[in-house]
Amino acid sequence: MANRRANFCGSEDHLIHRRGFLGAAAAGAFAANMGVLNVLQSPTLASELKRQQKHVILLWLAGGASQLETWDPKPGHDNGGPFRAIETNVPGVHISELLPKMAQRMHTTCLIRSLNTRNADHGGGAELMERGRRDEPTVKYPDLGAIIARELGRPDSEVPDYVSMYTTSEGRRKGSAGFLGARYAPMFLDKELMPANIRRLEQISDLDHQQRGELRQMLGEKFARGRGSHSVDSHNGAYKRVRGLMASEKLFDVSLEPQKYRDAYGPTQFGEQTLVARRLIEAGVPFVKVARGWWDSHGQNFETHLELVTELDHVMSTLIDDLEARGLLEHTLIITLGEFGRTPRINPSLGRDHFASAWSASLTGCGIKGGAVWGKSSPDGMTVVDGEVGAGELFATIFQALGIDHKKDYFLGSRPIPLTNPGIEPIRDVLA
Amino acid sequence: MTADPNKLTKKLETGTPGILFCLDKRDDSSLIHCGCSDGKVYTFDLSEEKQAGKPMEGHTSYVTGVALAGKHLVSGSFDCSLIWWDLETGKPIRTIKDAHARWIRGVKASPDGSFVASVADDMVCRLWDPESGKLLRALQGHELQTPHHYPSMLYACAISSDSKLIATADRVGHIVVWEAESGRSLATLEAPVMYTWDPTQRRHSIGGIRSITFSRDNKLVAVGGIGKIGNIDHLDGPSRIEVFDWQAGERTHEFSHDKLKGLVETLAFGPDDAWLVASGGDHGGFIQIYDLKEKKAIKEEKAPMHVHDMLLSADGTSLCTVGHGRVATWELKEATA
Amino acid sequence: MLRAFQRILLCAAACGIWGIAAAAPAEDLLPADRPIPEVVDHYIDAELQKREIKPAAQASDNEVIRRITLDLAGRIPTVAEAQAYVQSSDPKKREQLVDRLLGLPDFALHHRNELDQLLAGNDRMEGSWRDYLLTACQENRPWDVMFREMMLSEEGQTSPGALGFLKSRAKDMDRMTGDTSSIFFGVDITCAKCHDHPLVSDWLQDHYFGMQSFFSRTYLTKANFVAESDEGDVKFKTTAGETKSAQLMFLTGTVVTEPAPPQRTDEEKKQRKEELAKLDEQKQPHPAPQYSRRAALVDLALQPGERDFFARAAVNRVWHRLFGWGLVNPVDQMHSGNPPMHPELIDWLARDFIEHGYDLKRLIRGLALSQAYSRSSIWLEGERPDRDLFAVANVKPLTPRQLGVSLDLASRNQAAMPVAGDDKWKDFITGRESRAGRFTAWVEVPNEDFQVSVTEALYFSNNAEIVNEFLSSANDRLMSQLTGQEDREAALQAAAWNTLSRPFDAEELQLFKNYLAQREDNLPAAWQQVLWAVLTSPEFRFNH
Repeated sequence: MANRRANFCGSEDHLIHRRGFLGAAAAGAFAANMGVLNVLQSPTLASELKRQQKHVILLWLAGGASQLETWDPKPGHDNGGPFRAIETNVPGVHISELLPKMAQRMHTTCLIRSLNTRNADHGGGAELMERGRRDEPTVKYPDLGAIIARELGRPDSEVPDYVSMYTTSEGRRKGSAGFLGARYAPMFLDKELMPANIRRLEQISDLDHQQRGELRQMLGEKFARGRGSHSVDSHNGAYKRVRGLMASEKLFDVSLEPQKYRDAYGPTQFGEQTLVARRLIEAGVPFVKVARGWWDSHGQNFETHLELVTELDHVMSTLIDDLEARGLLEHTLIITLGEFGRTPRINPSLGRDHFASAWSASLTGCGIKGGAVWGKSSPDGMTVVDGEVGAGELFATIFQALGIDHKKDYFLGSRPIPLTNPGIEPIRDVLA
Repeated sequence: MTADPNKLTKKLETGTPGILFCLDKRDDSSLIHCGCSDGKVYTFDLSEEKQAGKPMEGHTSYVTGVALAGKHLVSGSFDCSLIWWDLETGKPIRTIKDAHARWIRGVKASPDGSFVASVADDMVCRLWDPESGKLLRALQGHELQTPHHYPSMLYACAISSDSKLIATADRVGHIVVWEAESGRSLATLEAPVMYTWDPTQRRHSIGGIRSITFSRDNKLVAVGGIGKIGNIDHLDGPSRIEVFDWQAGERTHEFSHDKLKGLVETLAFGPDDAWLVASGGDHGGFIQIYDLKEKKAIKEEKAPMHVHDMLLSADGTSLCTVGHGRVATWELKEATA
Repeated sequence: MLRAFQRILLCAAACGIWGIAAAAPAEDLLPADRPIPEVVDHYIDAELQKREIKPAAQASDNEVIRRITLDLAGRIPTVAEAQAYVQSSDPKKREQLVDRLLGLPDFALHHRNELDQLLAGNDRMEGSWRDYLLTACQENRPWDVMFREMMLSEEGQTSPGALGFLKSRAKDMDRMTGDTSSIFFGVDITCAKCHDHPLVSDWLQDHYFGMQSFFSRTYLTKANFVAESDEGDVKFKTTAGETKSAQLMFLTGTVVTEPAPPQRTDEEKKQRKEELAKLDEQKQPHPAPQYSRRAALVDLALQPGERDFFARAAVNRVWHRLFGWGLVNPVDQMHSGNPPMHPELIDWLARDFIEHGYDLKRLIRGLALSQAYSRSSIWLEGERPDRDLFAVANVKPLTPRQLGVSLDLASRNQAAMPVAGDDKWKDFITGRESRAGRFTAWVEVPNEDFQVSVTEALYFSNNAEIVNEFLSSANDRLMSQLTGQEDREAALQAAAWNTLSRPFDAEELQLFKNYLAQREDNLPAAWQQVLWAVLTSPEFRFNH
């Protein structure tokens, strides 16, 4: 099993030297200070590493998708709505008829139907489900992407380690690295599918761009000596990554993708962004979030879900097939999740409102026991009757699926902060 | 007894199990048959004080269309099936399981008893023999996908009083008038304002034409839906009606109501086509009556619930509305002593 | 997962009493008439001596003027300012520098920005808020007066800018209580998990809900005015399951007895509701209550015996601002479980602050004149000492506005610019500061363990704004002075003084000369790259 780098805790009081994580193979190439050995020097090591590298694609259902129209249908009940439940290729597991393609792929996916997260407002719910816990006044927790970037990213990486796409303007959320610091903040795309400022300006030649970077670096390294400042080091670090990140521009360019794959993902924006996500993780980006806004169907819930779930079904299935064909599915965790679910009770506009007492999420791929279903909601969908879990348990499960110890500590100053709060356990039944 | 829309008054109101999406009744009967969200078809007797509703079971999802055809009642549902009911016994006598490939949105019977029409999200209008249940014809004139690449819906159909014409209307505001006999498309009309696509804030659509009806002289087609919406999370837009001279291909009337917001779910022309009744709602309900000559509103009232369907009597003096958890009847005439 | 409620108790329990470590008796402190810088150095050096740690040497004059100008005026020094200071041999030049900067309009602008960040953070505030702060800073309004204004200004036809603090928190009672407590009293009462002590008794719940009670009657009307009701209590459930009404209890444990709220019949309540609704329709504020709980808090918090929280919190925050590290850290964990390393120092400064009318400018001046403040930030021998010792200066990231203004000045042809302090200067610097606000989109605000994001690096590397504004060859720009200059070394040193407030050393000169020699083919472009490299170097980006 690939070893993790020793955690660098970011506190001056707790300087832990980095270790090359290939152990003996890298003997003699140890870094004594902030530099880290460049594994890419060895091609076989590099490709081995790439194959072992894990990734996450978070399909964020912004606005709160209805669990009743997706993973936890309640046909035959007043709250069930008009869409029926269909069988899947996992005996005994039924999902909404709006997901016929996923129904044929349930062997790759596990469902958690017993989320009770108590937070039914967009801001609070999103904060909770992005981070696995609510912020405290003195602690701003990093979101999932920042943690994954820290755990699964590489310091000298030529690709970004956390990319977040949120193109609809409603409820738009940027993502936050919290106390991990801006080093792990996402590369954020909102209006455009291309990250801002990633292209060299025309008026400067590539040589000049590179050389002035080198001048800057020389000044920067000279200045950093003796300052004892991680902030200064992060400044130099950010600039070091610029040229590599600029090179990753092509990853965002779907026109470079063969037409058959572009057609497979379909003509919608969400499909296109998911294709970009696949390109990114294929190139080694550990975490990509694709937000699909906006599911907040207070009115016309069924019409809206007819549109959006049909799209999700198609795009997610295409992604699964695509990753599988590339041998990446076992190394990639696909998550569908939103800030909360929707009320079982149907309002007079035929809508469903916010609901956090019994809702669902799905996990596909890496480290997951395909076809598993955890938790039960009541027949009327109003409460969890079995296996109640919160955001913490979901996150612990995600970390374990990726081979990350959910109990490990980060350090905020000298204060240890575990990845999940004490007492939280992963849902073992859905882990491989 | 002449109908007078100015004298619209509510008569009866009763709570019902679930949401009633459709109704049919004979003009001379006090019985109404309603399709319900619980998959049942309920028969209510409007002459009775208390309404219990006699259920008929057979569907497994929302019943969105019911039509009296000959001795039977034909119903259509989100379960994609059509059921023929024996009204005496309350039992299904025929079930066509996959009458449509997708969710059925409406069922109508021709006045002359020669066919029953059903519309569904497979974007096809199917014509059926009411006696044998045989499929007579399939009318295809609506796109399967919206221009934004999402599955579309075929919400509404209407049959002319002489049973010669059928009109269908969909999510994106496309209307087709058909010749029933041949299945030929006679005319197409567009009411695109009824379809709101939000590309930036929420990136999905809302709306669609939800109701359609011929004028009594069959010269006009009226469609109802909702106007442009800013926040598509809600039915937060003006209720909207457009009327067309379908042969000339011209719009004759346009009514948009800023205060009574929501969907116009059902429409009916009054006697001599002098006025038009529209009903529907958002979280609440409304009834609007328009003088077609003056092009003005006669009545703009709240209804006790979001109305999904209604029937106006032939003489225009009584109206029955069904919707979200309620049945309400109305009179449009001078109160008799 | 621990509920918020339980976490509060955990922390409160560990804090023992909510009181701060009892202030040292007055006799043990240095006399009150000593100058602030002397006192600072006395206590800091005493601790260093005790531990036998030799502090870093004093920073060079170039470093000192740059640091002080950034901290007091929110910008780098102009070439004229820097050279004048470095070249002066006046033994009082440090004091003169500080007093000159405190007298510039720049001080009020920067001080306003610092207070704005402290009080409003990233909240979107109405324009009147920043205007209020600027006026208060220009007048050097005492901190207790400002506190009173922010808590108790009366609503009128136009809402006073000072009420912005409450307005942005009026919909979230927890936030209002927590922020007030944290910002003004240095106590985060919702702190959690920093201690491992077991739960104690209801006494501690009383503290938390006691503080909240002071705010619980405050609300925002439909017409967006701050208002306070004259009735209503905070109720909470004790660990024993009993429901209690919270008393008005301050952090010291002092309870305020208040008059009983008016008793109203249902009819009267209905009438009152209608009256208030009418006021909303007319866009009028609601009437003030006979008895204001918020006023009770302000009055109590500034009383002798109670005001230590207020004074110490302010002292600690100002110290943190100048030194990059507080006397107590984190700055809102000022309780007995987290004592300062220099308790007498903070006690003395707090006492001094109170006795001189909560004068922030005076405090800033005093700290900026100490030797502890002007130490070098470089430490080359072995492990860097604990920050609490202030043996070596901390590097501080520039705020977005400091960076924006500094980039502008650094890339300007300063001969074509007003002289700092002359009559055209105020308009000039106000304009620069206003324009610098746009950097808040690209550059993060400094925080604990600050890190630079790749977004900032990409912005500076590839955005046209940087080139067009700072690297252009227009006559008002530095670039116009560099290209075409025959004497390359002179040009380089001009650039160095403009940007870094010092000359390049031999190594740097050689580096740039070599680079320029390679680029004879396109010298203007080459000079741009030189200037870019300096402006994006950490030496520019940070206050050191």
